[in-house]
This record gives sequence, structure tokens and C-alpha cells, in this order.
Amino acid sequence: MSVVDEHSSHEHHGHYAEGGNHHDTPQAKHRKEHMLLWMLIGGDMVFTALIIFAWFYLKALNVEGMWRGAACKPNFNAGLNQSCTDGIGNAINHIVPTAAPLHTFAIAILAIVGAGFMWFAEVQARQGASGKATTPLLGLGALAILGALVWQIYQFQVLPFTTVQGAYASSFEYIMGSNVGHLALVSIVAVGLFIRGSKGLHDNGRWYQIHLSRLFAVWVAFSVTLLAFMVTFFN
Amino acid sequence: MSTTALLEDTKLGPKAGGLYRHQNFLTGILTGGVAMFLGWLVAHYTVQNNANWGSDMVVTVTMAAWVVGFMAGIGAFNAVFRWMVGHDQDHDDELYAAGVSQGWRRYFKFCTDHKVVGTQYLVLVMSLFAVGGTLAMIIRTQLISPNNHLISPQTYNAVISIHGMIMIIATIIMVSGPWANFILPIQLGAKDMAFPRLNALSLWLVVAAVPPILISLFIGGVDSGWTTYAPLSVQSPPGQDAFAITIITFVVSVTVAGINTITTTMTMRAKGMTMGRLPIFVWGSLVAAGLGLYAMPAFLAAQSMLLTDRVVGTSFFAPAQGGAGWLYENIFWIMGHPEVYVILIPGVAAAMDVASTFSRKPLFGYKIAVGAFFGLGALALMVWAHHMFTTGWAPNLADPWMLTTELISIPTGVFFLVIIGTLWRGSIWTRLPMYWVYLFLWNFIIGGVTGIYLSDVPADQYFHGNMFVTAHFHYTLLGGGMIGATAALCYWFPKMSGKMLNERIGKLAFWVIAIFFQVTYFGMFWEGFQGMPRRIAAYAPYFHSANLIATIGAYGLFLGWVILLYAIIHSWMNGKVAPSNPWQAKSLEWHISSPPPLENFLVDPIVTSDPYTFGEGEPMAPAKQPSPATVGSTEGGAH
Repeated sequence: MSVVDEHSSHEHHGHYAEGGNHHDTPQAKHRKEHMLLWMLIGGDMVFTALIIFAWFYLKALNVEGMWRGAACKPNFNAGLNQSCTDGIGNAINHIVPTAAPLHTFAIAILAIVGAGFMWFAEVQARQGASGKATTPLLGLGALAILGALVWQIYQFQVLPFTTVQGAYASSFEYIMGSNVGHLALVSIVAVGLFIRGSKGLHDNGRWYQIHLSRLFAVWVAFSVTLLAFMVTFFN
Repeated sequence: MSTTALLEDTKLGPKAGGLYRHQNFLTGILTGGVAMFLGWLVAHYTVQNNANWGSDMVVTVTMAAWVVGFMAGIGAFNAVFRWMVGHDQDHDDELYAAGVSQGWRRYFKFCTDHKVVGTQYLVLVMSLFAVGGTLAMIIRTQLISPNNHLISPQTYNAVISIHGMIMIIATIIMVSGPWANFILPIQLGAKDMAFPRLNALSLWLVVAAVPPILISLFIGGVDSGWTTYAPLSVQSPPGQDAFAITIITFVVSVTVAGINTITTTMTMRAKGMTMGRLPIFVWGSLVAAGLGLYAMPAFLAAQSMLLTDRVVGTSFFAPAQGGAGWLYENIFWIMGHPEVYVILIPGVAAAMDVASTFSRKPLFGYKIAVGAFFGLGALALMVWAHHMFTTGWAPNLADPWMLTTELISIPTGVFFLVIIGTLWRGSIWTRLPMYWVYLFLWNFIIGGVTGIYLSDVPADQYFHGNMFVTAHFHYTLLGGGMIGATAALCYWFPKMSGKMLNERIGKLAFWVIAIFFQVTYFGMFWEGFQGMPRRIAAYAPYFHSANLIATIGAYGLFLGWVILLYAIIHSWMNGKVAPSNPWQAKSLEWHISSPPPLENFLVDPIVTSDPYTFGEGEPMAPAKQPSPATVGSTEGGAH
């Protein structure tokens, strides 16, 4: 490999207010972070696709009639006398009720609203608005996302089933757990953005972190909504 | 412009690094230990007051607390926290994090310098191989006679499982850890990886992941094999929970490492380093990282669903409550087969680089090799169910799965031809790295050809559950992947350590490994042909001869690796000083000093040709190794 010298390299890099790799110009840093984020979202898409696959796989197989318990008939052949019981031995002789869509969709709507505020803040910041204009929007976004997170945790308390009552109940609660993880991540980012905004760190055209965070928040809102439709209309 | 170098002894402000100054491996262990205890305390108390939760919850919370505590203690969350509160790290903080003015201590810290991370990975990988290899010796000793009582059947199952998973973890990171971190950025002409903190994070996550899997041996073990098939794994002892925490942690590590590799390659190439000029090792690492991004979420899904089945009573995989064991198998192998190529491709790519350098010829069929990497990556997504031929799942789909699996032999055959074509009529310089390339070719062809039998549904019915499969995948992953990684180790050791690897001891290790490898795994093929099932602690006397041979071979193989380890340690401490380019190779890493300076290049290189320009006015194979005095310098910079 032939190489030729160029100019010296370290002197002119300095450091930038947003931290990160000290070699980078802000443009280079943003390009890399953009790529990182899309790959993270790509990996998360695979994860979400697998959740959807598991849902429809178990629903279609309806093993031992225990998707929601409707078709479950006791089967004492070959020692399978544990059929029609839940994971802790209680008999299941009824259809497991579905979760109330109110909670499921309220969480999705709050996630969408949160992402929407962040998007609006980004638009404002791109148009040169000061931190005084964008920070309240980021605060509202953070509040909405936190609200979605709290509501998602609350939903665990009001479900008409528990994890041990068949495959539908299991899959539903796993999805809720996944939502908690995702919303918690977005909450950390959203609260961080709000604090940074209140310190003026998004002023003077530094909208890029809002942009990246908004992208992730939109993806999470989309996946939460998609899963809400799935668990409500394909159960 | 000034050409002031950024040196490792650059003076930093007294508060540079902030909290990092007080954090290291020891504080990680202490914090992790405290978190572990608190986690145990809270979970234990909670379980006592909740009839639905049991020891699985206690183990899960305790192990998860260890991981979070360790990572917090070593400083992994410092930058995130500082970002959140708007107190970003400044330039001095980042230089401190990169190890400036810390000497040897940086190897025990959350250091962001890619060369430190690469070195840490190498030590970690060798440690994992030492543990996994020792477990292998226990397995083979148990099998030295038909009804040996060295360990109980339950312990045997646990040892088999942990040996398998530790080796899988180690082989996944054996090239992408040390070499994609240390060498790849330099090959691109970059000063570091794209995300130095994520780089350190990926390393220390693996470190955090190791104790839970080792602890699992002492809390009932894992008796369901490294694949932890459900529903058996749903009923396993609590060691299974610790195992799952290890995997989930490891998944995060591999994911962020893969993203880092891809982003570095796509955005940090030097001027003139077009995609067509990338060293083949970079292409291999790129494809493997992409495959990992696809595969690892599946591992996360499989293990997290298994964990919830065990801990909170969900029923993804327990058929009596509506779950399906096939669901686990599908999700697991959606991860599992691409993961084979995550292991294999970087090692193959490294072997290609070595072959080109030591035959003093351009890589034969460079573009075809790149195409084969992508072809293999694409096919890897479409073959997972061949692992399930004998499970009864979707027999009508067996033919398409057989076809896609057999297609795999095309890109893997291309790898073979690329290396053979490169060696063909080359002026071959047979130094230690080349020895491993020859062994790679020998092993890889055996591993590949035996794989064709396993892709065939009727033959697989006979072979799948027996030792033939064990021999096959050891020929592939150990004989191909790990031997390729060893070629990489011997090739890049001078660059990493600044010392020449002792060739006399290295060649002794080579011959011991090469010979006893064949003894071990031909012994296993023999066992397989006789029909001996795998994963059994006792067997009929009929299988004794083959097992005895395999065990003798395994002892010899272990000895060979110990000799190589000695060569590495001895050379690192007492070896001859390496010149900057001992192999007279062409890629960028050989244009700077050994070991490289802090930011690799004191001047930014501009690349004007590909890395395989051998034969263009070049001498043939050197008659002897150039002396340090005549080749290279310790100043760094482009020549």
C-alpha cells in the first residue's frame, strides 16, 4: 500500500462543547452518531420482529389449547395430566380475558405525543429558535414519555391475568416489559435533553442531539404502537 | 502547521478524568460485589413475601446487580451521567480516558484507546480459552474409560454446557476483540475507533459477563447444553439464570462492538482509502459485524424469554401452559447459524491477509472474496433450520433448508480457492504465521466437507445426535476459526507488543497442536461413525478405543496451546524488539512503529494504492528476517 504524508493531524482538532471523540469535527461526529443510531434501531427492529414472530407462532400453534385457555380440555393420556393448569398448578377452565385496550393505547399515544414534542423542538431548533423556545417543548416531551413509562408500569397492576395463565398472557406481559425497557431508555435521553436545553447547550444551531434523540423516540413510539395494535386486534 | 505529537506522557490538568481517576478494575469488583449483595438481599426478602417467586428470581436479580454494579464501579456510566446533567467531558478528560499519563495502569481501567482495548481483549480471550480448555480436559478425562467416575453425570452436563458457551463467547470475540480493535482502525488510517467509549464498554461488558457463567457451576449448573434447549432449560437448576444473564450482557457487548466496527469502517477511512482498497481483513470484520447485528437480538430474545419462563412463570417454551420448544429452537438458531460465521469470517479474512503477505502476491480474487463474504452472510440468514432436521419441525421444509445449506459450500469453497490461488506460484516465505494458514486450510477442508454430510437430511438423521457433529464443528470453529485467529495472532503480535514472537517455541507449539488436533478430532469422527451419542458421561465399552485416542489427543492439544501461551508471554516479556514492518507487508499498520503511538499516525496518511501491491518491483521472499536496525522506526508516521 502506498501512502504519502499529509499535514499534521492533532493540532487543529481541539475539543467541542458536545464532547465525544476529540478527533472529530461536529459534522463528522454527527455523521457517525447518525449511523450508530440507525444500526441500533435496525437491531431493535430485529428484536421487535422476533417478538411479533413469537406472538403469532404461539397463537397459531395454540399448544394444548393454552393460548388463552379457550380450547383447553384435560388430557390425561401419556401422563399429561398437568394440561389446563397455569404455571403454578391452578386449573384453567375458562378463556383468559384480554387486556383493556384503553391502557395499551393510552401508553402508545403518550409515547407518540412525547416523540411529537421532541420533533417540534427539533424543528424549532433547526429554525434558529433559542433554548427558551425549545426547552419547554423538550420538557413536555420528557413528561409525556415519563407518563407513558409510569402508565406502562401501572398497567401491570390492572391486567386481568398474570404471567402464568397461558401463552397470550405470557407474551402480553413480555411485550409490556419490553416497552418498559424502551420507554425507560427514551426517558433517560429525554430528561437529559431537557436538562441540557435548560443549560443552553442546544443554542446556536446545536440541534443535532435533539434530532438523534427524536429519531429514537419516534422509533420507540412506532414500535409501541405497532405492538399495541397487534396485542389488541390479533389476540 | 505544527507537528506536535500527542504522547502518552502528555501533561494533563490535575483534575483531568474526574471520577475516572479513582476507578479501575478493583473498584469495579468492589462495587459489583456490593451491588450483588444488595441485590441478593432485596430479592431474598421479596421472595420470602411472594409465593409466586423463587430462587430463580434471587439468582437473576443478584447476577444482574453484579453486572450493573461492576460497570458502574469501573466508570462505564460516567460519561452518560455527565451528558445527562449537561456537564460534558472536556479535552483533558477524554485524553485521560484514553490512558494518557497512566502507564500500565490504563490496562486495568475503562480506557478508550483502541490499542489498549485490543490488548485487554487479547488477554480476556486467552483467559476464556484457558477456562474453556480446562473444562474440555475434564470432559475428555471423564471419557477416558467407559464408566469413569471422575465427576457425576449432573456435573458432567454442567461442565459440557459451560465449556460450550465459554468457548462460543471466546471464539466470537477472538478476532473481532483483539484485532478488529487494535489493527482495523490503523488499517483504515484512523486514529481510533468511531466510538471509543463504546469500545471500552464492549470489552468490560464481556468481563462483567464472565463471573455469572462461572458461578452457575456452583448453583446447580446448567444441564441443558450450550444451546440450552427448552423446555429442559426451563426446568434446569438456578445456574441457568446466571447463564442467561451472561448471555444477555454479552449480547449488548457484541452489538455495540459490531456497530463500532461498521461505523469506523464507513466513516473513518483515510483519504484515498476507498472501499476497493480496504484490506480483506476489514471486509471480513465488516460482514461479521453486520451479521452479529442481525443475530444478537435473537439471542437476546431467546434468553430473555427463557428467563421470564423461569423467573416469573411465563410460558413461551413450556408446552403444558401453551408454549412451544420449537419456538426456542427457531429463535435460537436464527441467532445460532449466523453466529457461526460471525466466528469464522474474521479468522478467514485474517488468514487471507497473511497468505498474501507471505506469498508476496496480491490477494487472488479480492473482489470475489468480498462477494463470498457477503454471499455467506446472506445465506447464513436462510439456513437456521438445518439444526432442527431431527426435531420434527416442518419436515416439508427440509428440502429447501437442505438446498440453502448446501449452497453455503459455494462461498466457503471460494475462501479456500482464494487462499490457494494466492499461494499458487507465490514466492512463499514460510514464517510462523504461514504455518497456521496451512493448518487452517487442512482443517477447514475437513470441517467443510463433513458439513456437507450434515446438510443432507438422511445422513443428518444418523449423524446429528452423535460425536460426528462434535468433531465437525470443532474442525470448523476451532480448526478453521481459531487457527485463523492464531495466524492473526502470530502475524500482528509484533505490531501489538513491539516484540517478535519466539518462532522456535511457536513452531514447536504449532506441530504439537497440528498433530494432536487431528488425533483428537479424528478420534471423535471415529466415535461418530460407531454411533456414539454426544453429551454422555458414560458409554458402552465398544466405544472405548476411539475415546481413548480422542482423550490422548486432547491432552496433547492442550499441551500445544500451553506451549503457545508460554511463547506469547515469554516473547512479550523478553522477546526481540520488533521492527515496524517485520513481514515487509503493505497495509497501513506496517507503516507505523511497533507498538504504535497513542494516535497511531503522527501525520494523516493518504492512500494511493491497494494493500496488496506485491510483485511491483518488490523483492521476492526475504532470505531472512530483516533486522530492527534496518527496517522501520519507532517514530511512527507514514513512510
